[in-house]
Amino acid sequence: MSTRYLRRLKRALTGSADTPLVLLCNFEAEAQWARGHVGLPAPPAGATRPLVAAMEELGALLAGADDTIVLSRPLDPAYRDYLTHQGLALPTVLVPENCRPERSTTANAMDSPLLLDRLRRLGAAGAHLLPMGTTVDEEKLARRCGLALATPAATVVERVNSKIYGRRLAEAAGLRPVPGTCCETRQELTEVLTRYRHRLESGEPLVVKDAYGVSGKGLLVLENPTRAAQLLRMVDRRAARTGDDRIHVVVEEWLPKRCDLNYQITIARDGRSGLDFVKQALTAQGVHQGHLMPAELSAEQYRQIEYAAGEVATRLYADGYHGVVGVDAIVGVDETVYPVLEINARLNMSTYQGGVTELCQPPGTVAQARHYPLRLAAPLEFDAVRRALATVAGDRATERVLVTCFATVNADALLPVGAGGPPESFDGRLYALLVAVDRDRLRDLDRAVRATVTTLSVPEESHD
Amino acid sequence: MERHEIVEKIQAALAEVLMRDFGPLSEGTRLFEDMHLDSTAILELLMALEDNIGIEVDPENLNMDDFRTVGTLTDFLERARKVSS
Repeated sequence: MSTRYLRRLKRALTGSADTPLVLLCNFEAEAQWARGHVGLPAPPAGATRPLVAAMEELGALLAGADDTIVLSRPLDPAYRDYLTHQGLALPTVLVPENCRPERSTTANAMDSPLLLDRLRRLGAAGAHLLPMGTTVDEEKLARRCGLALATPAATVVERVNSKIYGRRLAEAAGLRPVPGTCCETRQELTEVLTRYRHRLESGEPLVVKDAYGVSGKGLLVLENPTRAAQLLRMVDRRAARTGDDRIHVVVEEWLPKRCDLNYQITIARDGRSGLDFVKQALTAQGVHQGHLMPAELSAEQYRQIEYAAGEVATRLYADGYHGVVGVDAIVGVDETVYPVLEINARLNMSTYQGGVTELCQPPGTVAQARHYPLRLAAPLEFDAVRRALATVAGDRATERVLVTCFATVNADALLPVGAGGPPESFDGRLYALLVAVDRDRLRDLDRAVRATVTTLSVPEESHD
Repeated sequence: MERHEIVEKIQAALAEVLMRDFGPLSEGTRLFEDMHLDSTAILELLMALEDNIGIEVDPENLNMDDFRTVGTLTDFLERARKVSS
């Protein structure tokens, strides 16, 4: 039995609420889109960290029983039992037979004839491929297996995911932009930073963001003119070395804010669109931590978000895009809404929560989806997590704790469970959805989960 | 500059970027796992090291392995100083 959320999504993306989907949660899509664009100076990108790749498991909670998800490692059997026991209808999980840890799941799939054969049969039966973000690699996979893409072509998706595109769309639509500008050349960046010199001298920071930076990456906060001059020197040296003057970034004033928002729009193939939800985003130093739902907004602030959602949808559709769109926004400390900070025309972290919140968050309650950091000396079995969390939720009628991703707990371990453990401690993340009657109870529940997760970790060495 | 002085400069740069004071760091300290440095902070760390050590570093010449531990970063900075001197 699919959730109403999933059925709406399928209807918008494929024309029918019953279309079977093949999900592929390629969290490294931005890195692929960034190729061919020049961002901030950075060390050459390495392979995607196993922990980030393991986040693909989040897709299992979005998909329904008629769907399929391709994962580079199977769901942990104990975790699978747990999810089923919680009332979730899980998809079929397909694992490519030739998996290599340094490759993306799409690349693993392309190198796995048995899997490709299974996908061909699904394609012949009318299934659509829904990647997290469509790049040329997922497009190739769809073509090779005869799977229809539930999204537009990769060239369209790449174009509309640029932060430069998003900023220009907001400006053209007359939506209140964060003060700033777009740069596409070294000269433009030099001019902009020169123009902002007085602001930097007075201690008001600027943020420089890569056009294709993943949340929290490819972002530099400039707090004084010295750092701005250093950045320009690095960019100049690179341009001299490569003969390439381009740099694709946006430069924005760092605004004091009350909160970050994330809202989702779904644009159907026929152009109709809807605002799915508005959540409050939890961030730490620019890095995404989770979501609070519903967001604390006045009726007028909500109306402004609704209006912006309509404008963004109309313009994206006119530019050839349909599908899921996550938009980041902020509310300033003076309660001013800046409704478009960033447009992510792909599935977002909050997209994957839609089904479980429908099942687990009754009307009138509040919820929080976030990850809890762990430091482990050896891989952790799911039963240990389940036992620990069983002690947390007090009043079971109104409170709930649901583990939404377990693969990220042990992903960075060097050896599998039972093989003696890795020689060094490693970091993991436990993703969970917490539900409570009000914000105070939610805060208590969050504290209790955090304390419990800490008991599962090894004591951390202090560097203070 | 002696190797132990470079380690001290790295420690000062980390304290500036991560806005925390640390006790003495060993060369085996892992930057990401133990210090919780994230990729966003790498560029800021390099800028702080430019100030502290007086060399110019181009991130493109680095390998992520150079950021594995305080020791590997010290190795990289020693090599970079030899090239620039």
